[in-house]
Parts: sequence; structure tokens; C-alpha cells
Amino acid sequence: MRNQFQTAGTAGVWALLALAALPVAAQTAYRAPRMADGHANLNGIWQVMNTANWDLRGHAAAMGRVVALGSEDAMPPGLGVIEGGEEIPYLPAAMAKREQNYNNRLKDDPEVKCYLPGVPRATYMPYPFQIVQSTKTIMFSYEYAGAVRVINMDKPTKSPADSWMGWSNGHWEGDTLVIDVTGFNEDSWLDRVGDYHSDALHVVERYTPRSAETMNYEATIEDSKVFSRPWKISMPLYRHVEKNAQLLEFKCVEFVEELLYGPLRKKPRANP
Amino acid sequence: MHYRFRALLPALCSVAWLGTTGAFAQAPANVAKTTAAAKVTENKAWTPPRTADGKPDLQGVWSNATNVPLERPAEGRGGRARGPAQPGTAADVHYDLSQYGLDRAHSKVAEDDRTSLVTTPDGRIPPRLPEAQQRAAARAAFTREHQWDGPETRPLSERCILWPSEGPPMLSPGYNSNVQIVQGPGYVVIEQEMIHDARIIPTDGRPHLAANVRQWMGDSTGHWEGDTLVVDTTNFTDKTAFQGSTDTLHVVERFTRVANDTLQYEFTVEDPHTWAQPWSAKTFWTKTDDHIYEYACQEGNHGMANNLSGARAVERQAEEAARKQSK
Repeated sequence: MRNQFQTAGTAGVWALLALAALPVAAQTAYRAPRMADGHANLNGIWQVMNTANWDLRGHAAAMGRVVALGSEDAMPPGLGVIEGGEEIPYLPAAMAKREQNYNNRLKDDPEVKCYLPGVPRATYMPYPFQIVQSTKTIMFSYEYAGAVRVINMDKPTKSPADSWMGWSNGHWEGDTLVIDVTGFNEDSWLDRVGDYHSDALHVVERYTPRSAETMNYEATIEDSKVFSRPWKISMPLYRHVEKNAQLLEFKCVEFVEELLYGPLRKKPRANP
Repeated sequence: MHYRFRALLPALCSVAWLGTTGAFAQAPANVAKTTAAAKVTENKAWTPPRTADGKPDLQGVWSNATNVPLERPAEGRGGRARGPAQPGTAADVHYDLSQYGLDRAHSKVAEDDRTSLVTTPDGRIPPRLPEAQQRAAARAAFTREHQWDGPETRPLSERCILWPSEGPPMLSPGYNSNVQIVQGPGYVVIEQEMIHDARIIPTDGRPHLAANVRQWMGDSTGHWEGDTLVVDTTNFTDKTAFQGSTDTLHVVERFTRVANDTLQYEFTVEDPHTWAQPWSAKTFWTKTDDHIYEYACQEGNHGMANNLSGARAVERQAEEAARKQSK
């Protein structure tokens, strides 16, 4: 009986493996439309359909941070986007800062203040972004805060100065756009629950077309000051297919001025 | 903003030193030697390089710094003309001291001996309509009265929302005058360093946004006329004013690469609530090998909090002084 069970179990595992292998085979078989220069065409307006910006880990729904907002601010549940595990490999000494960030997240999350999102967070913000692809340069333009990245596809260049959005050198591996990002400052976060990095952050992003209207996004995150080893997140990106889709302005500075400067007004705002 | 500025301080010091030695008695070396206008006439047979999909290639990083004022200075305002005076202009024109300042001594500047960017016969913007003059006066009076009340009455650049030069129409911001153009199928993107705004311009013939969707920088659509990119922008808000305009501002820009290193930028603006007729201007952008740096403005904006808390401190001091006097 025990043997039978094992056999049945093994067969089940094989069946599962076969099933799991199918989408992978389908992915590698997909060949993206070409640009005039022969590279895969990634042009379009893209967005995630997940809750990674709330928390990269898998998480159940939870009470929000602002009582007045009720269910509008409640954290939606999500399966998580961390590959091969649910935990981020923080160095023991780096945990205290994560804890502090979490406790002060309503005040300290750069997103609350309309600061630039950094990379990879820009990708999974709940706003679309647009890729405009040329041969030597690819422009990534994000609706949130008007953040922008210029990807250098020519000979790699060294970051001249630290910045929020980092310094991006890209190259092609088959149909996959690989972007190596360095030159970060230590100020952006990875999600709304206080996951963070230092200025030693190094991100390698991989954008792989998987169908006409989806791409796989992977980011390997390495930071020897904060994490004990490199770790990886992955998620699909979805194309905005609506007619005449376009990024609109989300210049959020004016929405956070009351928060940042309200107490410095001559008279309190009538309708805060 | 503050980062870049700091990085340039040592350079600024060396410019100040050079200035004292008279090294700027001649035009600075970074000013191109052939006028951009001359290139337009000399290069009639020249055709711009093409992108992989056959469109004129406008891509690269361009400096839109210029030593030419938007409007021709009025007669009799002292100073010395840099280039040959044009018929009917004052021979003795004071340009702009900042041409030897922080940015224009460091970035490339297209040689341009015209006396105004505005192309009207007198080089001046047409007079504003009476309603526009009243609006401007009311705006100015309100600002004088309330300039330190809160963030909304501070300039948009101090709020890190928009640089006044960003437009459209786009003019030189005075420093960090860098613009990068990238072209993809059906789109042209124009990123201005000040302040990291990317204008994404579709060239697929789509209509403008619905009239109730208004944006700080309007809504731009483009098309190609021969080798010229023509960009049409509407849907502005009433929160910005280009030379006193309203939300009915309509801007048409024309981008033409006239030489490998020179892009001609022309614009025409109209607004039935501001001017009796449309008016136009033209400037030249120069190719540069420099990068666009990240202008993180909001992220380092200590100025707003400092200004407002300073204003509150001044008010408290005045109240205290008044109290003491009344004792």
C-alpha cells in the first residue's frame, strides 16, 4: 500500500512536472515581432497586475495605514513575487533598519512624498510605463512622478553620479533585453512595507517577450551592505491594449504639498 | 538640482578667475563658429540621416542654450551687440550677462547673431489683449499680496512641478539646457533635463485627449511634414501661463534637423484670450556629447520648507515688535 502510494505519488509528480514544463516550452518558443534593426520589439505601454508595491512577499489582506480611508487603503492580498522563497535575505545587521522603515512607513516611504521610485520599484508601481525603443537608446518613461530612464544600448558607460533611477546599460540576449543598473543613491525603497537597499545596490533586469501582449520581468537584486546574497523577483508585465492608450501626467508634487508644508502655511488650508 | 549645482561650483570659480584675466574678450570657444542660420541656407542639399524605419533622425542629446533673447531688447538699453546688427535694430544692444555665467560658458551654444528669437518684424511679442492685461495685473497683484502664504503661491519651479522653460513651447532654462530625443515606431520622446519630464509624442494620427482632460504640459500629437516633425499641443490647464496665456493656448512646434549638429526649433502660439494674432519664434539646438543627468528636484527641495518657515519667522518677529511697541 505504501509502495502503491509512492508510485502514484511519483507519477503525480511527473505529471505535474510535465504540466509545469509546458508553459516554459511555450515561452521559449515565442518569437517577438522585430524592429527594423532586427531586435525584438518591446515598444508599448506596460503595467503589472500584482500587489508587489505593497509587499514583495506573499501576503494576506491587511488593515491599511489611514483609518479615514477605510477599505480604500486596505492592503490587497498577493501571492508574492520573490523567486524560490518568501523571505528577503537581509543581513542580520540590516534588519533593524527594515523594522524602523516599517514602523515609520506612513512618514518615510518615498512614494508618500512623491519621490522618484528607483529601480526595480518603478516597474511594479500601480501605474503604467512606456518603452520607446531605438537602436542605441531605449527610453523608459513612467507615469508615476514622471520618472524616466535612458537605457544606453551602445558601449557600456560608467555611472557619473549616484541617482534615484540609477545608471542603465542594456544589451540583448536573444529576445531578452538585459539591463544592468548601478549608480543608485540609498534613498529609494523596494515596497510600501519598508524593504530597502543601500548605495551598493546592483540590479540586473531581464525583459523577455512571452506573447504579443505579455512580457516576463525579472530583477536580480544584489547589495552586499544589506543582503547576504543576490535574490530575484519575477512577474509578468501586461500590455495596455486599449485604443489610443497613452501615459497621462501624474505630477504628484501638488498632491503632497499639504502633507509636507501644511504646518508652514500662513493660514491652515480651508479644506485639508 | 542641488547635486548638479554643487558639482559645478569648482568650475564656476575657475570661470570667475578667467573672467578677471579678460579671457572672454572674444566669443567663448564653446560657441559654434558658423551661424546656425547660415547652415540652413548653405545646406539646402543636405538631407538628415534616417532612423531604421525611414524617418528623419532627430535623436541624440541637444543643447538649447542660446545667447539670443526671446524678444528684441527695446531701443537704447546700453551694452554692445555681439554680432552684426540687423536692419532696423539697435546697434547697441545689451544681451545677457549670464552668457558668461555658469551654464552658457560650459554648454555648447549655437552661434546665432539674430537679435530676438521671436520672428515678428519688430522682434517683439504682439501686445496682449485688454482682457489678458487685466488678468496679468490681477495675477501679479494677488502674487504680491500672497506670495509667502503657502506652496501654491510660490513659483512652479520652486515647487518642483514645472520649469517655466519646459513649455511647450520649450525654451532654454538658463542652465542644464539639455534635451534628449529618442524615436521609436510611431513615437518621438523628448526628455528635458529640467525637470526630468519626458514628452511622449505619438505620430500615429490619433486625436487629442477629451477636452475635460487637462495637463500641465498639455497633450501633444505629432506628424511628419517632409523632414520636419510637427507637434500640435492643446489641453493645457489654467494653472500655467506662457507669456500670459490661458488654458486655450494652442502651440505648434516644428523640429527640423538642418545639419548634423544643428536642429532648428520653431514654434507658433495662439490664444484667443491673450493675443489678437498668433506669433512665432525660432531657435537652434546644438548637438552635444554630454549626458542628461537626473534632475531630482522634489527629492531635494529644502527651499520650499525654508522659505515658508522663514516667512512665518518674519511674521512672528513683526508681531513681537508690534507688541513691544504697544507696551
